[in-house]
Amino acid sequence: MDQVSDEEVEVREEEEEEEEDSDKEDQDLDKMFGAWLGELDKLTQSLDDGRPEPPPQQKAPLRQETNMANFSYRFSIYNINEALNQGDNVDLDALMADLCSIEQELSTINTKPNSSSSGLARFLLNCHIQSIRQQINSLPLSLSLLKHSYLDRETSLILRNIAGKPSHLLTKEEQAAKLKAENIRVALEKIKEAQVKKLVIRVHLSDESSKTMMVDERQTVRQVLDSLLEKSHCGYSADWSLVETINELQMERIFEDHENLVENLLNWTRDSQNRLMFTERIEKYALFKNPQNYLLGRKETCEMAERNKEALLEECFGGSSVSVPEMEGVLWLKEDGKKSWKKRYFLLRASGIYYVPKGKAKASRDLVCFLQLDHVNVYLGQDYKSKYKAPTDYCMVLKHPQIQKKSQYIKYLCCDDIRTLQQWINSIRITKYGKQLYTNFQEAMRRSEAAYDWSSLSSSSIKSGSSSSSLPESQSNHSSQSDSGVSEMTSSGHTRSQSVVSSIFSDAWRRGTQGEVRTHKNTQSFPVSSLCSCGLHFPCFPSVNLI
Amino acid sequence: MFLKLSFPSLLHSTHVCLSCFIFLCCRLCSVRTVSWIYLSLSLLLLFLPDLGSDAPPVTISVASDLHVGGVILKLVEKTQIKRDWSDHALWWEQKQQWLLRTAWTLEKYGIHADARLLFMPQHKPLKLGLPNGITLRLRASFSCPVFQTVMGICRMLNIRHPEELSLLRPVEEKKKKKDKDLAEEIYDLTEVPLSSGTLMSRPCLYNGMPAHFVDSPQMEAIYKMLSVTQPPPAPEVIAKQYRPASVVDKAHINGRWLDSSRCLMQQGIQENDRLWLRFKYAAFYDIEPKYDVVRLTQLYEQARWAILLEDVDCTEEEMMLFGALQYHISKVAQSEPQMLSTNAAMDDLESALMSLEVKMEGENSSASEFNVIVCFRPKRLTLKGYKQYWFKFQDTSISYFKSKEESIGEPIQQINLRGCEVAPDVNVASQKFLIRLLIPAPEGMNEVYLRCENEQQYAQWMAACRLASKGKSLADSSFQSEIQSIRSFLAMQKTNSHGNAPAGDESINTHSLVSPRYHKKYKPKQLTPRILDAYQNVAQLSLTDALMRFLQIWQALPDFGLSYVVVRFKGSRKDEVLGIAPNRLIRIDLGVGDVVKTWRYNNMKQWNVNWDIRQMAIEFDGNVNIAFSCVTADCKIVHEFIGGYIFMSTRSREKSDTLNEELFHKLTGGHEAL
Repeated sequence: MDQVSDEEVEVREEEEEEEEDSDKEDQDLDKMFGAWLGELDKLTQSLDDGRPEPPPQQKAPLRQETNMANFSYRFSIYNINEALNQGDNVDLDALMADLCSIEQELSTINTKPNSSSSGLARFLLNCHIQSIRQQINSLPLSLSLLKHSYLDRETSLILRNIAGKPSHLLTKEEQAAKLKAENIRVALEKIKEAQVKKLVIRVHLSDESSKTMMVDERQTVRQVLDSLLEKSHCGYSADWSLVETINELQMERIFEDHENLVENLLNWTRDSQNRLMFTERIEKYALFKNPQNYLLGRKETCEMAERNKEALLEECFGGSSVSVPEMEGVLWLKEDGKKSWKKRYFLLRASGIYYVPKGKAKASRDLVCFLQLDHVNVYLGQDYKSKYKAPTDYCMVLKHPQIQKKSQYIKYLCCDDIRTLQQWINSIRITKYGKQLYTNFQEAMRRSEAAYDWSSLSSSSIKSGSSSSSLPESQSNHSSQSDSGVSEMTSSGHTRSQSVVSSIFSDAWRRGTQGEVRTHKNTQSFPVSSLCSCGLHFPCFPSVNLI
Repeated sequence: MFLKLSFPSLLHSTHVCLSCFIFLCCRLCSVRTVSWIYLSLSLLLLFLPDLGSDAPPVTISVASDLHVGGVILKLVEKTQIKRDWSDHALWWEQKQQWLLRTAWTLEKYGIHADARLLFMPQHKPLKLGLPNGITLRLRASFSCPVFQTVMGICRMLNIRHPEELSLLRPVEEKKKKKDKDLAEEIYDLTEVPLSSGTLMSRPCLYNGMPAHFVDSPQMEAIYKMLSVTQPPPAPEVIAKQYRPASVVDKAHINGRWLDSSRCLMQQGIQENDRLWLRFKYAAFYDIEPKYDVVRLTQLYEQARWAILLEDVDCTEEEMMLFGALQYHISKVAQSEPQMLSTNAAMDDLESALMSLEVKMEGENSSASEFNVIVCFRPKRLTLKGYKQYWFKFQDTSISYFKSKEESIGEPIQQINLRGCEVAPDVNVASQKFLIRLLIPAPEGMNEVYLRCENEQQYAQWMAACRLASKGKSLADSSFQSEIQSIRSFLAMQKTNSHGNAPAGDESINTHSLVSPRYHKKYKPKQLTPRILDAYQNVAQLSLTDALMRFLQIWQALPDFGLSYVVVRFKGSRKDEVLGIAPNRLIRIDLGVGDVVKTWRYNNMKQWNVNWDIRQMAIEFDGNVNIAFSCVTADCKIVHEFIGGYIFMSTRSREKSDTLNEELFHKLTGGHEAL
């Protein structure tokens, strides 16, 4: 209970903060508050018919009961009191009724001194079976009684027995038990609903404006993205992402669609300079648009027929286990506490990142574990050449999401080029999230396709993403990008036309794709499939013709 | 022109009837004037194995236009023995061929008078080594292609998707003299009636077992042996097993696979010979723990041995995790004899209630508090050692106080353990019980050591810390089981330090869980904390989940599913290794051991086998052609591997219950099959 009330406070604080921060966003905020207050109303509605104060005299009679009764009820009384003190979403009437019935029951028990203690316990349980339905019907109900229903062994036994039986074969008793289970389920849903945390967040757009919105703790990044997209009326594309930027450490990470947003945001410190960005990032799903560049462990980018791409993805993500891309090579590792970088040969395996110790071969058994990926996330380092004297600006960072300040537990790795960096980051994502990543992508594509159903014109542009040049949309992006060079492409006006929105790119987008785009153009001049070109370059390879 | 029919085991008795044989010949020749026509008349010598080894041969005379069924009918009539001959068929020894088409005439089969035919049962006993190391004796078909034989075996053993398995000739074991008296236990399944049921139909299960296993307690015991994982093998057993030392050694093993398109008889397998049943294709399709109890168990056993014998390379960390999973699986398998079929909806409800309960108890903090004195030191602050504090566990946090008396007031510090890493640092012998906590904070990780006084205290605190790191409070139902598992693991360390561990159920030598390489590298008591470290992440898994996790990690190893063959590429002068994976072929340089080239099946256009020069040629998209001859295995084996994997990839979810056998043979069959 303490926890819940803490949350309550936190939310309010957030709200105040936001109020101070975003005076320019008055309009948005007003709407926000309207919605939010509505929710609060709903939450407190149940209190309206309840009594404001818990009746203290209720405790007294119970305390006088037998030890047995005391034992079994101490806990629930405690909880009830807790609940009452909190005065939130508990139907006090129901509680009162319950307490009275308990009192009655107990007094009847006391008149039968002969009953054994186990019999007494069973009787108590039975009483609860009866009373529990009453409880359930009057929602929201007290948590403590629900708990007791769980202790009710008999019912759960019955439930177990009837599992799978067709309903018309059930006895009355069993049906009652089933009904009860159903009721409890409903009750649990409602309880969950009532206890959901809500957080007011501020989302920055790439044009330096920002939006404020409320998210509840159950929402995934995908859901938040959807509501943002709905509100902002910008073109629907799978590339829209929520990006966490940690200014203090100069790093950022695209939240995965399946992640829980609130959970991630709660890692931030109170005075955090971190930002949540809402932008289009083609690197978010570039992996699935051009899987051949990420999954085949090859050094050079190339084109692949759409059909083969699908086959490749199906092969990698369709099976029962996801195969980790073969990723290995020399990377620079920043030494702890120093500004010097050391070369090491790193390998990615499903169990983590390893490196080859000095003077050893690449055999699996000799590898040294650099880190395991369970607890760390992979971030994109920004401008580390000047900040940490990195050999290049293509850096990635591995750290526990809770770490927000400089620490020896943050690992910095530097790649020679943007391609290697993107390959590593994506391979680590695959290793970490596996099939979930592909599911996310498919979901995003499904939504974007649904959003574009009405217009056949633009539907193709979604699929294109970064990959092919055949699509006018993406080409125009490329050209506008090369035209404008490095200059900020902030369109301060709120022009919602699709082409403009899609030409708003973040820094990372630009850096992330420039390499890719260039190489695409290179390979396009060879209209042969990827493997073919590799095979042709292969020196000592005999072809069948020579036989 | 004569036709001889005899039974294989009775060759020595042919001389007995030789005189009569010659006599008959002469008589026949005098009667028939047309000797030109094949098999115008034949004389049959019949030996009946059922009547004993020295039973006289039975002779019958037949015409060449008689069909095989007629021959058999005559044969049976002549013997005057009433019994079930339905499983018997004629085997043409010289041509190594069964005469199974009873409607075909002898002429159509091209049987000459000098042909030597044997009349014998098609199903014969076979000693079958299972992946779990146990040997079964069962009746398998010697007359149909091995592919179907395996299907029959799998149907009997209740293994779905038999196309993934095949038979392997075992590696000859170097028999030492002293091993001889250790007669191996063989489980007999020869009494199981041969089912002629439809292909791949899911067998009716009684009590979770196929019907033939329910008959007697012995059979039930065998089924249990099939479906429950074996306890970890003794370290000596692991050390004694044959371990392939190099890629070439591994390649040699792959030369032992039987040809799927020919029958056992054709491949020289005799009655009561020993064969291994193994998962051949590393594409395990649609594993459904509910139906796949035996399959899952055997798959796990094969994976476990692949790890223990370093058939697949892995890192030390991975080995420790495999060890921890093996330990956990063996422990859970003992306590959980049958998988309960629980109702999913019920589980949902229960877990929901459970979490509700946890939440409530967590809120009710005073109920889950327990006080123990633990020493504590933040690392690197003092070199001296540990300072004693009074510790209190509340919800998911620990707080500490100067003394017990002050524990009512404000703690010196409170640390929330949610999301932290908990690692043991234990040495029972020297009574060191440390808990290392790595607690994430915005500033980095805080490293904290808790020192417990004894095992009891350690187990409790360790369990509490682990639960807290997962966000669960002490009220969680798993608390006691967690304590129990920690203590049993500590007990393991204790027994290990006292020399040879007795073979009790609680004590498992940690050397049983890792490959022999680590036997040399670490002592059991050094291994224990490392395995314990990995164990904490898997300790709460159910048996099925643990098995699945083991398989998943195994499948995620870079070398998983690679079958090696030594080949000579066309134009190359040295031997190289071809690795055949479920989705690609790789070329490995033998000298360096590096992968030189990868070709994926997705890009494959076609492959050709030249049976005359035993060479394979594969064509990929974009005019990439490769050709090689196989050194350590027959090219049929390589051909079958590639075709088999292509076949595996054609299986789709919709028709998972029907096996397209024809397609398999089309993809893997050689010219003999056509």
